[in-house]
Amino acid sequence: MDNKEDVTRIGVFLCQCGGNISDKVDIEKIETILMEDEKIQVVTHYENLCSIEGGKIIKEKIITENLDRVVIAACSSVTHGDTFKQYVKPLNPYLFEMPNIREQCSWVENDPDKATNKALSLIRSGVESVQYSEPLDSILGKVRHSALVVGAGISGITTALSLAKQGIKTTLVEEKPTIGGSMVQVGKVFSPAKLTEDCAMCLLNPLVNEAVENKNITILTNTVVESSKKRSGNFNVILKKHAVYVDEDKCTSCGRCSEVCPISAPDMWNEGLIQRKAIYKPFPQAVPNTYTIDEEHCIKCGKCEETCQTNAINLNAYRDMISLNVGSIVIATGHKRFDTKKRPEYGHEKYEDVITQMELARIMGVNGPTYGKLLTPSTGKIPKRIVMVQCVGSRDDKPYGHKYCSKICCMVAIKSANLIKQHYPNTEVIICYTDIRTPGMYEKYYKYGQTQGIKLIRGRPGEITKKDGHLIVRVEDTLTSERKEIETNMVVLSAAIEPSSGTVRLAKTLGVSLTEDKFIKEKHPKIKPVTTDIQGIFVCGTAQGPKDITESVIQANAVSSKIAERLNGGLEVEPFIANTNQKKCSMCLICVEQCKYNAINKEHNTIYVDPLSCTGCGACMISCPEQAISIRGQSDEKLEAKIEGILKDKKPDEKIIIAFLDDIGNISADNIGVNRISCPSSIRIIHVPYINRVKYQHVKHALTHGADGIFLGEYPDTPTHNQIRENFKNMKKQLKEDNINPDRLIIHRTFIPYFRGLSKQFEQFDEQIKQEIK
Amino acid sequence: MNKFIPSKDITLFRSCLVSTEYPGIESSTKFVFDKLGIEYVVDRNQSCCTGLGHYYDIFDELSTVALAARNFHHAIKNGHKQFVPMCSTCYAILKNAAIMLNEKEDVRNQVNESFISNGLEDLVYTKDDIDPINNITHTVEVFFNNREKLSEFGCVDLSNLTIATHHGCHYCKVHYDDTLCGVRNPMLLDDVCSAMNASTIGYYDHKRMTCGSGFRQRYANKELSLDVTEDKFESLYENDVDLLVHMCPNCHVQFDRYQNIISKRTGHDYNFVHLNMSQLIALYMGADPYKVMGIQTHSVSVEPLLKKLKIN
Repeated sequence: MDNKEDVTRIGVFLCQCGGNISDKVDIEKIETILMEDEKIQVVTHYENLCSIEGGKIIKEKIITENLDRVVIAACSSVTHGDTFKQYVKPLNPYLFEMPNIREQCSWVENDPDKATNKALSLIRSGVESVQYSEPLDSILGKVRHSALVVGAGISGITTALSLAKQGIKTTLVEEKPTIGGSMVQVGKVFSPAKLTEDCAMCLLNPLVNEAVENKNITILTNTVVESSKKRSGNFNVILKKHAVYVDEDKCTSCGRCSEVCPISAPDMWNEGLIQRKAIYKPFPQAVPNTYTIDEEHCIKCGKCEETCQTNAINLNAYRDMISLNVGSIVIATGHKRFDTKKRPEYGHEKYEDVITQMELARIMGVNGPTYGKLLTPSTGKIPKRIVMVQCVGSRDDKPYGHKYCSKICCMVAIKSANLIKQHYPNTEVIICYTDIRTPGMYEKYYKYGQTQGIKLIRGRPGEITKKDGHLIVRVEDTLTSERKEIETNMVVLSAAIEPSSGTVRLAKTLGVSLTEDKFIKEKHPKIKPVTTDIQGIFVCGTAQGPKDITESVIQANAVSSKIAERLNGGLEVEPFIANTNQKKCSMCLICVEQCKYNAINKEHNTIYVDPLSCTGCGACMISCPEQAISIRGQSDEKLEAKIEGILKDKKPDEKIIIAFLDDIGNISADNIGVNRISCPSSIRIIHVPYINRVKYQHVKHALTHGADGIFLGEYPDTPTHNQIRENFKNMKKQLKEDNINPDRLIIHRTFIPYFRGLSKQFEQFDEQIKQEIK
Repeated sequence: MNKFIPSKDITLFRSCLVSTEYPGIESSTKFVFDKLGIEYVVDRNQSCCTGLGHYYDIFDELSTVALAARNFHHAIKNGHKQFVPMCSTCYAILKNAAIMLNEKEDVRNQVNESFISNGLEDLVYTKDDIDPINNITHTVEVFFNNREKLSEFGCVDLSNLTIATHHGCHYCKVHYDDTLCGVRNPMLLDDVCSAMNASTIGYYDHKRMTCGSGFRQRYANKELSLDVTEDKFESLYENDVDLLVHMCPNCHVQFDRYQNIISKRTGHDYNFVHLNMSQLIALYMGADPYKVMGIQTHSVSVEPLLKKLKIN
């Protein structure tokens, strides 16, 4: 669009800011100079343009002078940008520019001549670029009142219930045949405040029942997410439901099918400690309350089908594909436990009496293989001594180990030890630990365990072996430096928590980033928990990292309130998003690959930019080989005009450095002014949304049209950081090729609180440029 | 794991412990390589890897790296840049040196400067001349790579032997990510054995344990050193093994030379013998026990094992 075809009528408003600006900047002089510019219809000033009176002046001038563009030279747009957006209202709010002549000029410049000079060039920059401003509307989106929760453990169930209670239609998907996750297996959970252990099933069951009863929740078991596409803030999802061989509505759970089934397979709900049939019910309280067929082991002999009196079994059932359109997706896919085969020295595979904490939980569970009796697997006798080994696969630098702490294992071991001590006071329990990590109230539970007689040895066992019918645990007590060989009946390994394979798979399907440990990555671990890099996709529970039930439930509720925010607040976003020129586009799809926010998709034979997902970061624009992508409202021409405006009145002996700063850098530069720290007179700041916006053509244009140096200020903690650095290197290379000294371009990291650092970098660069000019 | 194992362009890297203690390891390796059609040279210009001196703190790191750079130069010049050491210490030390020469510019510069200032310009090392993963391979890895061919040349039935393996620290625990067939339960030697229809006992108590030598520990802290070796001997004794297979001559020394001393400590008669993997393969392929395997240099007599295998 070429706005210059019409004669532009620009109005310039200068704010004195009650002396903050006018004490240093000669407003009258600027007015006189600007009036010579024929594009400018009117120049006026006022004491406080941000006041209601100021607003009246602006509005009136726009109407009476028939202005079509406005420049308001005042403070930082962070302070009053929104105010002036309202004041220019007869015009489209995107048709004004706001040069910052306070924080980035009058507050950092002591010499009035230099301040006036700098203010003038900043205003010129606004005047030149405002001609290229286009009328835009902010983007409003509507998020569907529906959600998909993947994974039906405690986290998924909690999220689904909270969403459903807010009237949000929720589909709760579980890969396994029953819902409840790990919590139904653990038997007991600890209660640090009461120093007791509670029945896990009794806590979970009411929630499960509520989820089953809630009209807003659809539970799909044996189901996985096949694919997902984002469109206008919503997701088109396809689910794959494995064949349902047993009709839930017809099955009466009589169990005759299981009796006639000839095939036995390990009962994984009991950690493989016992066998079950190929048609089975995972556990008595299972939801859905039905028998299920294990596809892997079933030989489809048909005996169960013949026996079933309600005709509930159909061995010819086929899988089903289900399509959904939801506003939000929740990843609650949980964890798996470290494969103890990777630590052969602990003999989990070799010795029957070396078990894991989860196996112990099953043995201690009243619905477990021994009906709750603690019996040594090989002898069937109550053990006299049990040794627990902590950090199996956690805090482990060796191959296949995890460097992180699995966080829950100390409490899990102390819980099982306490339980054993209560029911079998004569059984000795020794926990070999690396460090005991029981922060907050958990420390009380740990101390309570010690009073119960639990013994603790600080040391990580090196090897577990068997001699004369006893297991031997070799460990060095690192507090006394003694090497010990502990004879024991049973060993319990506290295996690390790892991301489940479902978590990794789903992240790939949804395009969500993973941490280096393959857990789901949060957008910001401190201030943006439970949100992922992709708007509308959230994470809770152990899919995000090791944590206990308490923390998982807190995260689940946080997810639900984040989804409510999306639904109730609606989505209003700035219109500065990527725009593709279909004529130039060659459908190479590089932009689709480059987009870290999943905002670009190929649809039919065009490129579709989802306005609600696009952040306008410019990664696609920079990488497009056809130059077919631009960012709305921020054309190349506009940025070039900004540069030209700054350089327009450059004096022969003057030195100008253009500093392109991103949002964070711009605020940091404001802070230089607010704190009255020095900033060289040569520095002229151009605020860009992302450093990617600055192309080589801009750098070259500036350096060949009077700028002495270019400073790029980048906040590094963004997904496009690496690309920005790559582009920077390329720009340097191109400068060399074009015979321009590449040292005239530099890049620095910017952080909001680190404004002193930015000031120092400005000064160093200023000094460097000064030396070069000499 | 993706690791290149060479079959040609090999510099068979000689080891001081092999040459002085068990020269049969080298002759057995050559015997087996020749049978398998593996192309190799022994470079007269080769110097010591410094391993022993390095771990006794006699050699500093820089001298070690400089000597490695020198050895690398000769191998490259010779057109045989695939280093195949018979000793795990050489293996680990050479890898370390290559990593340092590639990744630490200051070390590389220092080494190169010392070459230049002594008129040895041709020895100058250029970054990435040697790839520590793909150009430095243990002999046993070459055997492993050719394990399917072994039985073509086999003429001795080893199936009646009870065999245990000892992989040692310098193969397993220095370069974890380059180690074939497991680190926590190393199976490299076991897998080569099974290719010869010789089954091993697999995992046994103390399998991963150090041999106890600990270089100077063997002399400075003799009791501690032997305590460790004793643990392993006792485990082998309990498992009633006939043969312990080695891949490092230093471990071999610790077990073979000290067997009698430990036997006196524990009062147990140990009836097992020690062979390097190359010696066992050579035996399997019908090599002469004395002229090729060099069993006359062993302290623990290998003859009873030969008798059990009905070899005269």
